[in-house]
Amino acid sequence: MPRADVAFNLLLVLTAALFLYVIYYVFLVAPEAQLAAGGLAQKIFYFHVPAASGMYIGGVICFFGSVAYMLRGTDIRNAVAKAGAEVAVIFGALMLTSGPLWAKKAWGVYWTWDPRLTTTMLTVLIFTAIVMLRTFAGDGEAERKFAAAFGVLGSIIMPIVHYSVQLWSGNHPKVISEGGQGLGDPRMYHALYVAMAAMSLLSLLFVWMRTRLAMTQSRLAHAEERAATAGILEEP
Amino acid sequence: MQDRDVKVSAQPAPKPIDRSTEFVAVEGGVQTTSAGTLLVAAYGVMWALLLLFVFLGWRRQRSLESRLGDLEKALAAATSSSSKG
Repeated sequence: MPRADVAFNLLLVLTAALFLYVIYYVFLVAPEAQLAAGGLAQKIFYFHVPAASGMYIGGVICFFGSVAYMLRGTDIRNAVAKAGAEVAVIFGALMLTSGPLWAKKAWGVYWTWDPRLTTTMLTVLIFTAIVMLRTFAGDGEAERKFAAAFGVLGSIIMPIVHYSVQLWSGNHPKVISEGGQGLGDPRMYHALYVAMAAMSLLSLLFVWMRTRLAMTQSRLAHAEERAATAGILEEP
Repeated sequence: MQDRDVKVSAQPAPKPIDRSTEFVAVEGGVQTTSAGTLLVAAYGVMWALLLLFVFLGWRRQRSLESRLGDLEKALAAATSSSSKG
């Protein structure tokens, strides 16, 4: 078996084991928080915040892939940028769906136009636009370059999202970031850190899977082009 | 405590005429949503989204396999026709 496949399988097993442990720990060991923080619903936090780290990982990978593609356009760089954007969308969607369900209990409303919520939604919409562009606008050189430029733009907004709580205040709590009061129990920290590790590994796993898929797609498209030029295959 | 009990019991039962005859929007209404329901919903949605992502990847792979199959068939046909010729 090639080394890459062994590494991929190891990553898969490690991620699955960590997720099982996280589910056990969050539900059975980590204590409930105070009612003002959502009580039992506060446990959503252990997947909501790690989902944000997954989105950041996808966005950073998209950024470096996009910059690399703009410097020199190769299939692998395009595939990495594309995979990063897709992963940023899925983890952004996780964050945007889990957050409102927790907010309903903690704040009494599903959504409020708080700076962090608004900038997060904007980021997810930008990454969704990149994925839509790559899916429906074709896979030509111009489309790839445009998507890469869009990817850089989408990733640049991420630090604004991260620091928006400090910059503009708002409803969104700052518990573990600068100025926050922290988590009141060591088991809460443990649950959060292990969940962040699990979600980060999952995001890397997804980036790897999608990059390989995009590379296979590119290689097949090239092979089809060559076959069509040689008259073996009809033009797609 | 006793005074409050007295006050509560002293409230007259609302007559039909005093009851609501229209619905008015209230800001910051009483929170009744169950935390457990919200927690289960959040986890359910999370796993559904992750599975959807994996499913979409699997479907894309199926489409690539189908295109690869067509290419292999075309290559096999071209090879056999050139060997006959």
